[in-house]
Amino acid sequence: MKIELKNICKTFNKQSNTINNLDMTINDGEFVALVGPSGCGKSTTMLMIAGIYKPTSGNLYFDGQLVNDLEPKDRNIGMVFQSYALYPHMTVLDNIAFPLKQQKVPKEERYERAKNAADMVHLGHLLDRKPSQLSGGQQQRVALARAIVKKPKVLLLDEPMSNLDARLKIEMREEISRIQKELGITAIMVTHDQEEAMTTADRVAIMKEGELIQYSSPMELYNRPKNYFVAQFIGNPPMNFLKSQLAVKDGKCQFYINDTTVDLNNHLPKIKSHNSIKDIYAGIRPYDLKLGQKGDITLDGVVSLVEPTGHSKMVNVKVGDDRIRFFADPLQKIERGSKITLTASISSIHLFDCESGENLTAETIGEGQDNKLVINS
Amino acid sequence: MKKSKFLINGMRKHSLPWLMLAPFLILIVIFFFLPIILIAVNAFTDMDSALQWTFNGIDNFKKMLLDPNMPEILKNTFIYVFFTLAINVLFGLVLGLLTSYFIQKESVGLLFRTIWMLPRISPPVVYVLLWLWFFDPSPYGILNSLRALVDLPPGEWLSSNPKTAIVLANGMIGASFGMIIFSSAIKSIPENLFQAAKVDGASQWSIIQDIIIPAIRWPLMFVTMWQLLSLLTSYEYILLLTGGGPMVESEVLSLYSYHKAFESFEYGYGSAVSLVLVVIALGFSAIIWKVFGMKKMMGTSRVE
Amino acid sequence: MEGIYEPKMEAPKIKTVSKWNARIPYIIAYGTLGITTLPIILMYLWLLMSSFSTQMKHGVIPVEFTLENWRFLWTNVEMVGSVYPSIWTATWNSFVFAGVLTVLEVIIGVMAGYALSRMEFPGRQGIMKMTMMLHAFPSVALLIAVFFILNFMGLFDSLLGVILVKTALQIPMTAWIIKGFFDDVPWDLEWAGLIDGCNRFKVWYTIVIPIIKPGIAAVSIFSFLAGWSEFLLLYTFVLSDDNITLSTYLQKLISDPNLVNYGLLSAVSLFYMIPVLIFFIFTQKSLMQVSAGGGKGV
Repeated sequence: MKIELKNICKTFNKQSNTINNLDMTINDGEFVALVGPSGCGKSTTMLMIAGIYKPTSGNLYFDGQLVNDLEPKDRNIGMVFQSYALYPHMTVLDNIAFPLKQQKVPKEERYERAKNAADMVHLGHLLDRKPSQLSGGQQQRVALARAIVKKPKVLLLDEPMSNLDARLKIEMREEISRIQKELGITAIMVTHDQEEAMTTADRVAIMKEGELIQYSSPMELYNRPKNYFVAQFIGNPPMNFLKSQLAVKDGKCQFYINDTTVDLNNHLPKIKSHNSIKDIYAGIRPYDLKLGQKGDITLDGVVSLVEPTGHSKMVNVKVGDDRIRFFADPLQKIERGSKITLTASISSIHLFDCESGENLTAETIGEGQDNKLVINS
Repeated sequence: MKKSKFLINGMRKHSLPWLMLAPFLILIVIFFFLPIILIAVNAFTDMDSALQWTFNGIDNFKKMLLDPNMPEILKNTFIYVFFTLAINVLFGLVLGLLTSYFIQKESVGLLFRTIWMLPRISPPVVYVLLWLWFFDPSPYGILNSLRALVDLPPGEWLSSNPKTAIVLANGMIGASFGMIIFSSAIKSIPENLFQAAKVDGASQWSIIQDIIIPAIRWPLMFVTMWQLLSLLTSYEYILLLTGGGPMVESEVLSLYSYHKAFESFEYGYGSAVSLVLVVIALGFSAIIWKVFGMKKMMGTSRVE
Repeated sequence: MEGIYEPKMEAPKIKTVSKWNARIPYIIAYGTLGITTLPIILMYLWLLMSSFSTQMKHGVIPVEFTLENWRFLWTNVEMVGSVYPSIWTATWNSFVFAGVLTVLEVIIGVMAGYALSRMEFPGRQGIMKMTMMLHAFPSVALLIAVFFILNFMGLFDSLLGVILVKTALQIPMTAWIIKGFFDDVPWDLEWAGLIDGCNRFKVWYTIVIPIIKPGIAAVSIFSFLAGWSEFLLLYTFVLSDDNITLSTYLQKLISDPNLVNYGLLSAVSLFYMIPVLIFFIFTQKSLMQVSAGGGKGV
């Protein structure tokens, strides 16, 4: 089912908008993640789609049909809650069968379908237990089964994995993706964990203070963050930022990091004022930094911390007044306090306006296209 | 079908809550609001057993000021409230500390708390009977039996020390109220706070003074205010134990209004005394209200 | 007991406290509790012994076993010039009084508690404030006016009238406690019910009510006991012997000038306390929670 949000606003106390003019389309069969820091309005958005909250203004369409005033029970949705919200007084089977009971599905068929749903999430052996007798992961599966048992058109997942430990998280992530693909169901997931969003969703919507900041595919988010907020939110470990300055002088464009001057001459930026100096953040992802001397940009620094992760070593380096991270080969000998030089290709650098946070690199060049950086400001 | 659905939807928004609240509100209007108005009106009449409404202005209040019993009654009220409150709060605190901090074994603490709940949970008539027997002036009373063991003559305890009797009997009940509230407040202090204090070398006394008391500051204030209020206005145990006597030696203000109304049938005068109590009580409620700000109790509905 | 209060770690140089010194606070604690608690135990023990004894030596030591004091169960108590009503009339009346009170209070309290906890409507804040205020209201100061109202309604000297009064006096607290139970039910659960196809009413009775059942049970017991123990209202508003309850029956016996028979009084008291003791023994843990919760609600 295609879901459209048109100019949706939501206020709770009439003073400030919790959701401000939200426009968003979720295509049929798509898996969309709503991400953002707590209080950004992502859960409110989801609860509006669920029909528990009603938008203050704006319209919500399901397959082109206006559903603003449709009760949750009539929306044909399934939802998994952060707390799982299992009915504590019912067994696992009754929990899963509950939505079907509300649809007055005959008892036999009801339990048959509930069992099928339980099998789908590998819960077949726990049907007679009460929720309190299950582990967190198992409760999660019950919640998932209950959400899908009535074959809803939309699956809503509210922080579904935040109460699970790291290993279970990965397992459930795969499970949810698999089930979503198998059923071909439209799914919306709210999460504060960008990694979860990136790995599971087809498209990710980043929200901040009630506004949609960027809504695109995970790769696009990673490679072309629209602004500083997105750039520092997406990616783990987060992008390194170095304070620097961008200078435009006589049609030439340069920026300075760490006493190095980098020319951006290949493509002239469309900068309005022809002679200006701007404070910027230069962003480089930890994976894009390499040890060595040759590259477009070189950074000299002192190692302040080395954290082995097994397949590599994460190294903290102090460059000037900034601290950055990069990954080194696990066999490489790097010691705390030693001086090192790092390089990066110019294509991997993102420039952000310090004031507006806007990404000044209009088109970050992907693989294979080196030394091209287009500036528009 | 469609119509009924529409009806339910319409009701759901606003009339359903009122429908659910209706019996609750009706009871409150009949047995709280109406009586308040009646008391307020009645206080300005000289109604007696003939139940005639004859307004007499502020005569009742003048009478109250000139009432020869009044100084004694006010003195009794003060003594009764002050000492009972002291027992309630201080002994309640001691009981709370002992049963939920010093006695770490939950089952033992619970056993003691359970025993202390007995007077509270016993019907007032039975509880008072125990005190009556304790103070019985005949040689069968427990105090007198004990005196008999050392060859002392029986004493008329209840008539010679009526105020002590009512303070003790009420104090014991009130102490268990403080105990329950303080115990649960002490139990909700995170365990690792005590552990940290131990590691930092705190003595038992310092733990009580610096950790427990600050943590239960609000419950302490609450119990004090609450008990103050209920001691001022309740008289059931006094009525049963001494009936305010002998003469008016243990009569308190609230009991006086009861006696005036239901024994000497001076409904007007009794109402006036009640009105004074109600006004005092409302003042205390307002203080409790201010101190314990109720805003946080009132979350809003989260389904629209 | 739990180890942390008797530090096992004893670093050198630190002056080690002797075992006895460390125990002093606990000895004092148990001592104080024991001494203050003993009289309570003794008093109730006396109640039991004196009801089965012909007379008490020194007022406290039972002398001879007898069932004589329990005769009130099969013959009406007779005093000089007056015959007391049957104990069973009083028991039945007490039972009806407490039972109806409980049912009314729980039904009204659950409805009001849910509306206050979960629904949004104009005036909600006002009603909540009023409910809070009424907790502290000196209801007994209103008895004179309540007398008029009962008189007017023709409910003076009837159990029903007193039931209504008692329900009204307790309902602000009860509704508030029940509201607290509803507050504790996570919104997620209710939302899940809505999404799973229930309307609000269905969510209420298929999901929310079963969850708060234990709380409701505790409140029921609490209000039953309150009704069972009620004295003042019954004493003030009910006069006839037909409507006598156990509390007024016992009070009548106590204040009878012709009777100084502690054996009979304690037997009747014990009989009166049976439900209290039963409920108390089996449910005192949850009762404590309710009474504490009720206090914390402010």
